[in-house]
Amino acid sequence: MKTVIIGNGIAGNRVATELRQRNKEIEICILSAEDVPEYDPCSLPYYLAGNVGKTDIFKKTINDYKQLGINIAFNSKVVAINPEARKVITEAGIEIGYDKLVLAHGGALFFPPIEGISNAGVFSCKQMSEAEKLKFHKGRKAVVIGSGAIGIEAAEALKKKGYEVHIIELLGWILPVLFDEPTARILEAAMERQGIHIHTGEKVLQIKGDEKVTSVVTDKREIECDTVVVATGVIPGTALAKTALIETGRGIKVNRKMETSVPDIYACGDCVETFDSCTEEIVMFQLKHNAIEQAQIVAKNILGDNIGYLGAYAFARVHFFNTHAATFGKTMRATQCMLGKSELIEKQSGDDYLRVVLLDGRVIGGQAVGKYADYIGLLIGAMWRKDDIEQLRERWNKIPQAGAAYSWPLIQLGQLVGSAMPGSTNQI
Amino acid sequence: METRREQLAIDPLKCTGCQECLLACSMKHQGVINPKLAMLKIIRLETQELEVPVICMACDNAPCIKVCPMNARTRQKNGTVATNTDVCIGCRACVYICPVGSPAVNPYTGQTMTCDMCRGDEAGPWCVVACREGALKITQDDILTRGAARERAARSRAIFPN
Repeated sequence: MKTVIIGNGIAGNRVATELRQRNKEIEICILSAEDVPEYDPCSLPYYLAGNVGKTDIFKKTINDYKQLGINIAFNSKVVAINPEARKVITEAGIEIGYDKLVLAHGGALFFPPIEGISNAGVFSCKQMSEAEKLKFHKGRKAVVIGSGAIGIEAAEALKKKGYEVHIIELLGWILPVLFDEPTARILEAAMERQGIHIHTGEKVLQIKGDEKVTSVVTDKREIECDTVVVATGVIPGTALAKTALIETGRGIKVNRKMETSVPDIYACGDCVETFDSCTEEIVMFQLKHNAIEQAQIVAKNILGDNIGYLGAYAFARVHFFNTHAATFGKTMRATQCMLGKSELIEKQSGDDYLRVVLLDGRVIGGQAVGKYADYIGLLIGAMWRKDDIEQLRERWNKIPQAGAAYSWPLIQLGQLVGSAMPGSTNQI
Repeated sequence: METRREQLAIDPLKCTGCQECLLACSMKHQGVINPKLAMLKIIRLETQELEVPVICMACDNAPCIKVCPMNARTRQKNGTVATNTDVCIGCRACVYICPVGSPAVNPYTGQTMTCDMCRGDEAGPWCVVACREGALKITQDDILTRGAARERAARSRAIFPN
């Protein structure tokens, strides 16, 4: 059996190694559009800032592929799939046959149609080659367009490199998908303290400069700069799937076994649309832990295990300098259009802030900054188990001491969500 | 995947919060007496008048390994999960996703630390040796649940003899 994996990212490599661990005979071939072994795109901003060396962001060397018996073809971007003939066609016109095909090519960076976006001095921070260019670019004033996780981390990295950094966000506050306004405002204040300028509710109209970037024009101001980083989001690579007439929505559509609508073609990672493990809605969480789990499911199903995916979960964290924040589930803004009684628990002490969103008495999301974030895992558990918070509060009020050894996470959870009882946690 | 066969069982009712385990832990791993450098922590629940030692439970399907952006969290030979301090950047994703909030953050480096069961030390985990109250003990996989079941059964027998 020959398995061809398109994409040399986290998901693709995970499928390959899981297959190899279980089966020594299977022929595995990875087709990579880039020319480097597997690296971790999540750690590119840290490489950019100089926190880690170049060797640390690589997860494999070329020798590792040889040892595992995985064939790898660099610079082989796949442009078309022919499911009848069971072949994929690369850019160079080479045809490769397969028995099982895994689509793990992830997504492509979205470049908004701004005038001058192809000028010299406009970078992105998603791929190794682009991050490397940015690292060796010499400048002193940078504008980051977009304030998603990549934008924030790139801004921090550039600040550490000594740039003057401006972030421009179209929506009302930074990290608009992950956080609600109050949490985002705390983070904004923390970033401003570190000297990063944030402009929210502004639209970039033009990037000026003939050869090199000279300034960025928004609808409110003009910012002089010599470096622009575009971080306006990642769009799933569905174009390739469409050549094989695979059903797509926002991403490639898959069933619980991670099979696409065409037999013997699987998909995992950033390019698929999957469902939320808690709410069962169709979502796209392009996060690392989901890619790993999906890849494990793909590998098991290729080997004939018949295992269903339990769903993706939303958990993300951001950190810059000394401020740490975490978020999971839905934000209050995403909850407002849902039916049911929503409730909000807020706790604040100093710069530490906790925000838990409840819908019909069940946790469906939350955000935390500072020390409260350390226990956000308990709330994620409550969301998964669909704990009834009213019941939990009642139980918490009359929990017998003798039961403590078995239920201490419950007690701790009660301290976080039990708004009826003023609780205080002291960590030694 | 290696799963851990032995577990540290905690008993919050016996814990007095004396922190001797923290001192032993920092001595074993860092060579200094400093409770801030311990890999376990004690959480005080004021309203319940309880002191709860929090230790890594080495989940079989550990979320911290998947969530780490640097792949610094790795499964060790003895089944525990450790942070590779060469690449850890101190983002604390593992602390946030942990169902008990167990990874401790080294206040001097910002990197996380996790219980490694003292890696085959002859004396056993030092915190267990140091605990005078018997709040920490080492157990083999199923004995943990068997002990709990036996205790509950004993309690019901006390109410309904025979």
